Amino acid sequence: MEGESRKPIIRLTDIRKNFFIGTPNELKVLKGIDLTVYEGEFLAVVGASGSGKSTLMNIIGALDRPTSGGYILDDVDVISAKDSELSGIRNRKIGFVFQTYNLIAKTNALRNVEMPMLYAGVSRKERTKRAEELMELVGMGDRMKHLPEELSGGQKQRVAIARAMANDPAIILADEPTGALDSETGRMVMDIFHKLHKEQGKTIVLITHSPELADETERLITLKDGEIVGEREGRRYDDAV
Amino acid sequence: MMMLYENFRLALFSLKANKMRSLLTMLGIIIGVSSVIAIMSAGDSISAKLSDTMEGLGANNIELYLDFRDDYDGDYYYDYSDLMDHDMVQDFADHFSDRLKAISVTSDVGAADVKDGTKEAKVSVTGGTLGSFLIDDVKLMDGRFFTIGETDTAAKVALVSSKYVDIMYDGKNKDALGQGVNVEINGKSYKFTIVGVYEYKDAFAGMGMSSGENVRTKLYIPYQTAQSITHDDYMVYFTVMAKQGVDTDQLTKDMEDFFENRYYSNNDRLHVVAYNMASIVDEATSLINTVTIGISVIAGIALLVGGIGVMNIMLVSITERTREIGTRKALGAQNSSIRIQFIIEAVVICLIGGLIGIFFGSVLGAIAAALMKTSPMPSMRAIIVSLSFSTAIGIFFGFYPANKAAKMDPIEALRYE
Repeated sequence: MEGESRKPIIRLTDIRKNFFIGTPNELKVLKGIDLTVYEGEFLAVVGASGSGKSTLMNIIGALDRPTSGGYILDDVDVISAKDSELSGIRNRKIGFVFQTYNLIAKTNALRNVEMPMLYAGVSRKERTKRAEELMELVGMGDRMKHLPEELSGGQKQRVAIARAMANDPAIILADEPTGALDSETGRMVMDIFHKLHKEQGKTIVLITHSPELADETERLITLKDGEIVGEREGRRYDDAV
Repeated sequence: MMMLYENFRLALFSLKANKMRSLLTMLGIIIGVSSVIAIMSAGDSISAKLSDTMEGLGANNIELYLDFRDDYDGDYYYDYSDLMDHDMVQDFADHFSDRLKAISVTSDVGAADVKDGTKEAKVSVTGGTLGSFLIDDVKLMDGRFFTIGETDTAAKVALVSSKYVDIMYDGKNKDALGQGVNVEINGKSYKFTIVGVYEYKDAFAGMGMSSGENVRTKLYIPYQTAQSITHDDYMVYFTVMAKQGVDTDQLTKDMEDFFENRYYSNNDRLHVVAYNMASIVDEATSLINTVTIGISVIAGIALLVGGIGVMNIMLVSITERTREIGTRKALGAQNSSIRIQFIIEAVVICLIGGLIGIFFGSVLGAIAAALMKTSPMPSMRAIIVSLSFSTAIGIFFGFYPANKAAKMDPIEALRYE
């Protein structure tokens, strides 16, 4: 698994993000991030709160624009994309998994999984078929018609992972996916990520403050005060798989 | 197209999820639309009924009468030498014969109470020409009208109403024919022989009212007979019926001009006025329409208030669903998709409210029509206006909240607690 031989999916060059620009309180949250993530890689970004993790995730997820720097995602220049194009990039190239699941209330699990395909213009029949397959993949085949409020935390997160996979994105971006779960269900969720990575060859970027979880990934980078301060291979990556 | 369908489904889901709130929001629209529909259908059925009633009174009839001039400031009494005489009417009839179907000259002889034991019927003795029956739309039930011979010889014959027969002969028309009617006018007694019975029409029946049980009805006698009693050869008015296809408005004007120019241009007291029923029906109908539209506009204000309610609840809903909006944006929803989603939700609230409003409005209109004894007229115009108005209100008042949702920053929306 030599990283250099694989195709780069994410190329961040000298990404800077400042808030309150032009005021005395100007805040430099990201101070020149260079990061390349390769196709099929399982990467963890670790760091304490306030280290710039979330801001970096928002930029990678095309939810936010950097103050300066370059960002190429799967051969698409995200920096020069218009707002409407950013929606398309989020829709087709990125699969979000949030700490708080963010399933749409009053809408059953299957329809939640269908939602990204709805915005991609996939026909209803195809949407349902694909969503059913994904629900099976995450082991939720028997709870397709359940509403989010009828599911446990772990089950909700599995639905959210299925939803992230809906448009077969270039990367899955998971922000503290086990943060709200107990260790047992957190383990189950991590197993699903490993499965997607191994069996489907998905590129996964996991953002976490937990060094134990990060050690299960192929490579982990450490963020501190808006800079990458460390990079190494996961110690227990082989055990986890 | 697919998104449109999905958005309608979504909107229905969201309404179902908040049933009570949706219903209360719709209430403003429901009340507004029902009032508009009820008022418009009530107005339509009143004017339809009015046209019917008025046409029954004779849309082709033109009445010509003498009236004091506006600038005349003397005593208001008729001087016989000023009034119309029979030569004038005959002259007129000859002149307009190609356009006239009938002429009715009537003479009010007087009111009388006819008694027979305990039975008592009120009549007003009216002299009329044969044309009077046509113009008054008198329907013969039994017997016959007067013969030329009877009119020429001023025979003492009479036509009585079915109401009269009800009172005097228990409704048996055959029993009445050939019987005598004794009336006393100005202290003198006259006896007429009944030759026919006409159908009594209660003029107010159509309006849901009745003229009462013992109403005074007309007792027709030949005009010449009436004259022999009153010795009155002059008249203040007469009525004509235009032939089918004749422009009654034009004829009305021509009649007025004819009489005015020939006989009254030099008269500084009186002038001639002619009018027809059709123009009165038109005026009345347009008056009712104006009133209906006026009240509808006021009811429309209720709709407007309802629309503001919709906007208010949409703003609440959008704030509550901030995270959902953020999530949808993260999943790739365009701003326009979010905007359309919430506009459609507002439109669906208004449309459902509108449909319920049309239902209640039609029921109210039907009740109003039943109370007025008219047939209900669910006004198609009102339904179309209400539905388009509700949709417009949904779009108009939904746009601001929807646009607010569309412009939310996804990061902040996702972080919203």
